[in-house]
Amino acid sequence: MSFLIDEGRNIQHLLMGNEAIVRGALEAGVNVAAGYPGTPSSEIIETLSKVARDRNLYVEWSTNEKVAVEVAAAASFAGLRSLCVMKQNGVNVASDFLLHLASSGTRGGMVLVTCDDPGALSSVNEGESRLFAQILEIPLLEPGDFQEAKDIIPWAFALSEKIRNVVMVRSVTRLSHGSGNVRFGSLPGTSAQAEFVCHGPLLDPETGPIISMILAAPELQHGPQQEKLKKAAGIFETCPFNTYQGPDEPELLIVTASICSLYSREAVRILGLEDRVGILKLAATWPLPERLVKKHLAAAKRILFVEEVVPTLEDHVKVIAAEAAGEIGAKTFYGKKSGHLPSVGELNPDLVLDALARIFPAAAGTRPAASPGGVTDIPQRFTPARGMTFCPGCPHRASYWSIHNALALDGRGGFVCGDIGCYVMGTLPAGFSTVKTLHCMGSGSGVASGFGKLRSFGMDQPVVAVCGDSTFFHAAMPALANAIHQRSPFTMILLDNRGTAMTGFQPHPGSPTNVLGDEAPALDMEKICRSMGAKVEISDPFDLVKTREKLNRLLEYGEGAKVLILRQACALSPEKRGQRKYEVSVDAERCRGENCGCSRLCTRIFGCPGLVWDREKEVSRIDEMICAGCGVCADICPAGAIVRKEVAR
Amino acid sequence: MNHFGSGELETAVIQSELCIGCGACVRLCPYFDSYRGKTALLFPCAVEKGRCFAYCPKIEVDLDAITRFLHGKPYDGNPLGHHRGIFIARAGEKVRKQSFQAGGTVTALMVYAFRSGNIRGAVLTNRKGLLPEPRFVTRSADVYRASLSKYTAAPTLSALNEALDKGHGNLGVVGTPCQVTAVSQMRMNPMDKPGFKDPTALVVGLFCTWALDFRRFETFLAGEVPLEKIVKIDIPPPPAQVLEVYLEDGKREFPLDRIRPLVPDTCGYCPDMTAEFADVSVGVLEGRGDRNTLIVRTERGERIAREAEEKGFLVLEEMPRENLEHLQWAAGNKKKRGFLRSREAGKVNGEPGKTLFRLAPECLDGVFQDR
Amino acid sequence: MNPKALVRDPFSVIVTGVGGQGNVLASRLLGDMLAAKGYFVTIGETFGASQRGGSVMSHIRISSKSAWSPQIPRGKADVIVSLEPVEAVRVLREYGNPGVVLLSNTRPIYPVGVIRGELEYPSLDALREAVARILPGARFIDGTEQAIALGNAILTNIVMLGALNRLAVLPFEREDFRQAVGRRVASKQVPVNLMAFDKGYGLAG
Repeated sequence: MSFLIDEGRNIQHLLMGNEAIVRGALEAGVNVAAGYPGTPSSEIIETLSKVARDRNLYVEWSTNEKVAVEVAAAASFAGLRSLCVMKQNGVNVASDFLLHLASSGTRGGMVLVTCDDPGALSSVNEGESRLFAQILEIPLLEPGDFQEAKDIIPWAFALSEKIRNVVMVRSVTRLSHGSGNVRFGSLPGTSAQAEFVCHGPLLDPETGPIISMILAAPELQHGPQQEKLKKAAGIFETCPFNTYQGPDEPELLIVTASICSLYSREAVRILGLEDRVGILKLAATWPLPERLVKKHLAAAKRILFVEEVVPTLEDHVKVIAAEAAGEIGAKTFYGKKSGHLPSVGELNPDLVLDALARIFPAAAGTRPAASPGGVTDIPQRFTPARGMTFCPGCPHRASYWSIHNALALDGRGGFVCGDIGCYVMGTLPAGFSTVKTLHCMGSGSGVASGFGKLRSFGMDQPVVAVCGDSTFFHAAMPALANAIHQRSPFTMILLDNRGTAMTGFQPHPGSPTNVLGDEAPALDMEKICRSMGAKVEISDPFDLVKTREKLNRLLEYGEGAKVLILRQACALSPEKRGQRKYEVSVDAERCRGENCGCSRLCTRIFGCPGLVWDREKEVSRIDEMICAGCGVCADICPAGAIVRKEVAR
Repeated sequence: MNHFGSGELETAVIQSELCIGCGACVRLCPYFDSYRGKTALLFPCAVEKGRCFAYCPKIEVDLDAITRFLHGKPYDGNPLGHHRGIFIARAGEKVRKQSFQAGGTVTALMVYAFRSGNIRGAVLTNRKGLLPEPRFVTRSADVYRASLSKYTAAPTLSALNEALDKGHGNLGVVGTPCQVTAVSQMRMNPMDKPGFKDPTALVVGLFCTWALDFRRFETFLAGEVPLEKIVKIDIPPPPAQVLEVYLEDGKREFPLDRIRPLVPDTCGYCPDMTAEFADVSVGVLEGRGDRNTLIVRTERGERIAREAEEKGFLVLEEMPRENLEHLQWAAGNKKKRGFLRSREAGKVNGEPGKTLFRLAPECLDGVFQDR
Repeated sequence: MNPKALVRDPFSVIVTGVGGQGNVLASRLLGDMLAAKGYFVTIGETFGASQRGGSVMSHIRISSKSAWSPQIPRGKADVIVSLEPVEAVRVLREYGNPGVVLLSNTRPIYPVGVIRGELEYPSLDALREAVARILPGARFIDGTEQAIALGNAILTNIVMLGALNRLAVLPFEREDFRQAVGRRVASKQVPVNLMAFDKGYGLAG
């Protein structure tokens, strides 16, 4: 049994931020949780699924984020408490339904947890979900540490029920994936009864239908929605998670939220500014508690905003300051707009130190030396950069090898439209720089569908899109439907590695089990594509010759959309992890090394981390600790020097 | 000799559309490959001086060096190249009468060379549908399958590289002038490999005025005839000016004026109609669809041709003077056109690594003056 | 529970290595052991890219007073434990200082740029020499060799924890490790983990 459902009140555990959010949801008595995997959010649904039976929860990995919000909303409509979880990019996907949900309102408490990724540590961009709270006109909460990550969730549920609308809680990578001590509260009982009360009058929020439809009478729905937001703003004035630390009249007021509050605290302490700088750490960041903010603004002349990505706190506080200028006087502001903090990338204590040192030049002397003891004098040649690459044994390396070669042989300047998953590395030498467009989930196929229709403008380059198995269900199916209906001649390559691999093998509609590990109907991608009307081929990407030949034939085949399914499980998948199919070795006698006829193809180009170039002996060898035993390198070796032997089982 | 690597080859030949797709660079290494008549560099190779560059017949072809290697004297610009004799030829009674084209001389020579043990393997070109397919064969029976004309450029030499990689020797090779040029450069051991032995025993060159670009030809034919019903393709000797496509149920003729646009640009730079660096060269005989022209060039070519005649595989006749003159006129024309085009493009004795041909300037002048 | 005062508060430890080496487990075990002793522990780590051949790092802040930033300021590490030698230097350059305790495994994992031939991997001797100029007491041990001897290179992280225990810079004992590892790995794996811990302890002697 997971310690996360430990009943004991007041006991402490070291929890990951995402686990703290889970415990918070459990203490809030959540009944239903849905989400779509995405770093750094994935552990929340995963962890909830592990206690689902014990806590009488319904948990699912939904097909995409929009569906996840819809599933969670249904529970709320039926009077249950529901949680919906996604990474920042997922909010974009869910936003259409969310806008309607914010308008129709909710019944049972509903909390949307979004995990943003400042610095894009595991994302294609630094997308910002906080702005959605403004667009959706719903309240936003941002926990500032691990304890708060737990405590804020029950509070958010209670708020949702008070205002009858969805409440957004935003975490960031350093909180979600960091760990800290969390003191537990108590768990409620597990009985819950669902009923959708919907047969009352049209506009009755208690018993009527729940609809989002204004029809030229915005006052009927948009008006009440804004009233809810006003009510939340009022409650936010006394939100226990808004805290202030510092002197009554600080020389500088830091306004911050989320994990940035810890960076601020550390920087202030390092510079010894505890008696001169105050830190207003807000957890309720939209709509801002105006009276509270005004009170703190009045006490300081200079304000520094410490926040990541888009300066939203900065903008909103400045509005309050402008409106109250007569009362509180003019202020000097520092932050992203003044250039004291960078406008891109995540923050850290050093960046806040830099900003403070500019504002308090005299205190800068207590900063630690830039290179204590000359550590930065150690020559950089001792730290060769570690570029990103596919894992040893990854099917994507083999897939891209064949895709690259097929396009090169085809010779018409063909290219690949990329999509989201580990295979984004198709843009890098790891994937032989094959991918030439890359945007959001499912967009590779949509963009490819569009390229395919440019033949009438003289564009005869073959168009290929790559798409993972989870991505296929998430967002690529509509693009494929479009391409088939419009007769767009592109080739969709389904990189089917048997799960949502990048985020940790979460099941998707094509998986034979659900999040609880129970058997579930697996949708057959091959049959789906065929029945949609695509010409479909299947290949094992580890069979380089057949895969390349099949792809070249599909590229030649002119009309309509074609699908090539490349099926091979991820090297880290539970079924493969730690299992080597082959023992691979290099016959040094046969290795051609750098000579004409090879030029180190395996290490220089193929670049699997399991291969090593021995500079002294001028031959390749296998790093047995790294090699995953897929054996593909034996097929690319022109000299037959890489030998594979099947491992006896 | 000016030798470079795959990168220079890609820029100066493939990207400059000089590549004819002969296959000389294919199967030497994993970097070049051929698909549907086109050669592609898959990845950049880091070797600075590669065999790919040295073998390529479309870059840094030192005509003097090749002629010295084969005949011990410099290139002289003779329209028909160095030769010991020119004959009218056809297959003898020892050769199975089946569907070879024209006189069947190439088939006869290769079958004899196998039977007599002069060669132990042969590099030929089969056809798979319309697509020419390089083949390495080790039995005389397999020669017959390759006996039909292709007219499209083919990566035949990839099969030679593959055979050499496996250690085969004493090989017969049948190829077009560009392919024969590549083979002669391979035989010269340009990379000075220790212990090198000429792997060829008989190089048979095919006359060629131009080849067709496979992809363009296929697209053209696909718009005209059902591709799967094509049995044979022929360009009968002049004065006919047509390409004949034999179908299962009849024949279609296309005037050569419609076919010429399907010829790759690179053929316009070629000064060699009769495969001058072969042991023997074979082509059509004007006005006689059932006979060939045979040019015997080297000692070993002459020996094998004579033996084949003695053993009844080949029938040789004197070449009438008017035929010879016309052949010289046609070959001389191609030579002039090819060198002129090359010189205009700065590709004769030009910049190292970007030049097509090297030869003595006075010899080039001789070619341009009517002799 | 009132934990013992630390030499410095917060006390900052970095566990580093290459994705897939078990960096996260090592940092969690350390965190668990110290949290069980009543310390505030904050761990900062990134994953996602971590399995894909990249450098990975866990920042562990230990305090008897409060939670700290999950990112350690530059030059402020007190202990660096590295599962890979080049990563030890990388972290030392950014977070090190002459007072830091450095413990590194010697087994290289080559970056893909080195495999491709674009970059050079330094010789271990030169690397140790460069580190010794700043940290004469830096310890390099062949943890992977011990782990392989126990049957699996993945135990390197545990060998390193055993060695760290021997250096006695953090308040945890073998018994703390036994309890912590029992919560994080399958029970049948506990004995081999204890053996790895003991091997590491022996290596750092």
